[in-house]
Amino acid sequence: MRLLERSTEVGVLRAALGHARGGDGSGVAITGDSGVGKSSLVDAAVAETSAAGLEVRVLHAHCDPLDTPRPLGPFRDLELLGAADDPRREDESRAEMCERVYDAVRTEPTLLIVEDLHWVDAATVDVLRFLARRVESMPLLLVLTYRDREISPRHSARPLLGDLASLDGFTQLALAPLSVDAVREVVSGTHLDASRVHALTGGNPFFVAEVAKEPDRPLPATVRDAVLAHTADVTDHDFDVLQLIAAAPDRLDNRVLPHLGVDLPTLRRLQDTALLTRTDDGLVFRHELARQAIESTIPPGGGPRLHARLLDALETIDPADPAVLTHHAVAARDSARATSYACRAAEDASAAGSHSEAAAFFEIALEHLESRDPEERARLLLELAYQQYMTSRLPEAISNVRATFRLWEEAKRHDGLADAHAAVALFEYYNAHRERAEHHSDAAARIALDAATPSTFGAARATQGFLAYLRNDLVRARELAAEAREVAERSDLGVVGLRSEVVSTVSDLVSGDEAARATLLTQVETARDRGWDELASTVYSQVASLDVEHGRFRDAERLLQVSIPFAIQRDIPICRHWQTGVRARVQFQRGRWEAALEDAATVIDDNGMPLATLWPRLVSVLVPLRRGEEAELGLLDDAWSLAEQIDEPLRRLSVLAALAEAAWMTGRTDHRVSEYAVTQLAVLGACPGAEWGAGQVGAWLRRLGLPVPPLSLVAEPYRLADEGRVADAAQAWQLLGDPFAEAMAWTDSVIPEDRVTGIRLLDSIGAVGTADRHRVVLRQEGGVVVPQRPRESTRANPAGLTNRQLEVARLVARGLSNSEIATQLFISPKTADHHVSAILTKLAVPNRRAVVVNSAQLGLT
Amino acid sequence: MQRFIIEREIPNAKDLTQDQLAEIARTSNAAVESLGVPYVWIVSYVAGDRIYCIHDAVDEESILEHARRGGFPADRVTPVVAEFGPHTANV
Repeated sequence: MRLLERSTEVGVLRAALGHARGGDGSGVAITGDSGVGKSSLVDAAVAETSAAGLEVRVLHAHCDPLDTPRPLGPFRDLELLGAADDPRREDESRAEMCERVYDAVRTEPTLLIVEDLHWVDAATVDVLRFLARRVESMPLLLVLTYRDREISPRHSARPLLGDLASLDGFTQLALAPLSVDAVREVVSGTHLDASRVHALTGGNPFFVAEVAKEPDRPLPATVRDAVLAHTADVTDHDFDVLQLIAAAPDRLDNRVLPHLGVDLPTLRRLQDTALLTRTDDGLVFRHELARQAIESTIPPGGGPRLHARLLDALETIDPADPAVLTHHAVAARDSARATSYACRAAEDASAAGSHSEAAAFFEIALEHLESRDPEERARLLLELAYQQYMTSRLPEAISNVRATFRLWEEAKRHDGLADAHAAVALFEYYNAHRERAEHHSDAAARIALDAATPSTFGAARATQGFLAYLRNDLVRARELAAEAREVAERSDLGVVGLRSEVVSTVSDLVSGDEAARATLLTQVETARDRGWDELASTVYSQVASLDVEHGRFRDAERLLQVSIPFAIQRDIPICRHWQTGVRARVQFQRGRWEAALEDAATVIDDNGMPLATLWPRLVSVLVPLRRGEEAELGLLDDAWSLAEQIDEPLRRLSVLAALAEAAWMTGRTDHRVSEYAVTQLAVLGACPGAEWGAGQVGAWLRRLGLPVPPLSLVAEPYRLADEGRVADAAQAWQLLGDPFAEAMAWTDSVIPEDRVTGIRLLDSIGAVGTADRHRVVLRQEGGVVVPQRPRESTRANPAGLTNRQLEVARLVARGLSNSEIATQLFISPKTADHHVSAILTKLAVPNRRAVVVNSAQLGLT
Repeated sequence: MQRFIIEREIPNAKDLTQDQLAEIARTSNAAVESLGVPYVWIVSYVAGDRIYCIHDAVDEESILEHARRGGFPADRVTPVVAEFGPHTANV
């Protein structure tokens, strides 16, 4: 059928293709209901490339309507990537796939079409996001088709659509149904009544075409009847084959035809129905709606029989995709095979870094597990729990591990029981329940010792050591780490050995040995080299976190610039959440309020692991408080509850400092500050590594007029302030890059003029709420001219820059041109130019040279 | 029936073992049998990165269908128009 009423859309695609050939890539989403003509529009665009003789390579991939999609399925089907026949590539991770697709599309003008995104798998979404973020600098037109109504806010494709929407060159083509006039054109020459056909089909082009194909029949009652009308002359045997093909939602592989007894004459007869299409690797329905119409004719109870035939046939070809086999085994109600294929599919998915699909397959395996062997069930539950942990589904992970305890005991497998305790210990910790975490890690070590399983014992000791380090019990942490290391060396357990080394090195860093930082970074490299991604990411998390805690803000920033992309690329959402939370904190310390709020919202909105939400909650309250805006103070109570559950000195101190600041700003009494902090500060501050946190709480108590218990050790800038050396303290903060603390140091002075200096500084970084609070006090005291609240921020500062703008601003500060920035950030020079203009406005500087000259003052170094 | 020469590009075809060739033959036979139309596989030659096959079939479509079912490539399908040999000299 000729494409009707789509000339605008074809024009958009034509233009985008032209730009892509010139290296200015973009994305187009084609959306609309099933049958509205998304694929026809894509086909028209493809036809146009060949008709116009454009040298554009066309890559066409599809997502399939399987219950649980095949990880990276659309990309594995692309012949260009050579993945289909290469068994070595079956367990390729998404990071490798990203690189391979990137290499394939960046050199040659390419039209990459991914159809039916509403059925996409999470790994494919990540590869597409990777491409989308670079598309502007490549000769690529990325076309996606999907039924927008089927993409809910929680759909795995949502983040991708969000990324695309932020692209300059992104276009969404929402296809409307045909008008009555267009329908009239289709049915012209027949005696069909265009208005009635329009009313029956709702203008859906597929349905209109179906009706128009059989103009001599009376108008069908439904569109399903329109499809089935084509099968009126088909024999029972041939109809049975049609139903068989309809039961294979991805496609019926050509190679199974011999096994299913479908001969060539049958295929030729079925061609006359015009319902099927032959592709390179199988038979598919020309349209999903046609498949559904035929599928709807399968009698009750007939489905399992068809799926069983397909399953038998698929088992004869090699390699068969375990995800597809699982789909048919489930539909055939063949529990044994469903469990076995689902396990294989889950392992493939996990190896490919598709942890959400892996979890879905383990769930299927468990649901169909018939075996009464407790050990088998326990193993599956533990595997499922691990995948749920990786995807930040901690409560489910914990309850699944708990369910294994009884099973391991029943099976008399103490090693399994110890493994389960060790796993749940970690999950409970990230779920912010330290007490439970310690209970389980102790149990794991005890059981492993009794059962004489050294690998589990070593791992459990390392976990115990890690938990001890986190509560600042460094002596115990080092002892446990040494014990773990000894076991690891005896039994040649590389990963446990490295884990234990990390625990003792990070303990050294906490206690002030700054050389330990370099050692930790070497340990990260070792872990990365050996593929221990989770350990590498954990070390990054700890170092970045301690950097912020101890005022090494610039080091933290540089580290996070490497570690966050690593966690994203290796698909470890749990570490990504943690590190984004840490970045929220460092942006906050550096007075970059917008960027801090952006990171905090990401972690909270993503339902990041509870432990990771502590800093985001504090930042979400303190930024608006400081800016003089309305703040959601309840978030502080949540943070306090979290700190109680985690029960670690550093986290308690952080929350106490925030509570104290809020009490000072609002004038409200908070017993957690006036009682708990006053009595506990000396104890909490005596922990190694707590001199910064304790110094901060002490400073706020002093501002509140509360007694400050004697502290054994406070960090340098706090010590200077305590000694009344206001200017030195302010300068120390300036050197560290914390403008808010710098301003507050001035306001702590007894000299009114110093305090005015502090107020002006606070105003200049946008902390006008805090400045106002000082104005009130200063006016009450009298004797000095208090500066008026400024109408808007007058001094150049990065408070209003988003994370992306900060990234661009840093490159401007290094003297890079727009095109150099574009290359580095995978954006088009035009987009880079937009960013730079916005940055100059927000920083209130006249030109980019001013950014370079004042980069230190602007907080960009 | 018409005779065809089919060229199949298979990287390192020359390294295929006897077992692998036997497996391929089984797959091919099953594909022939399933076609439901007259079809005869005469012989195949392995040479370098290619396999050259001689098949008798009613039409080219059957040749391609056999390849699809067997999962084999069929990079070039050419009808044979004449066959000759040393004996042709005596005609």
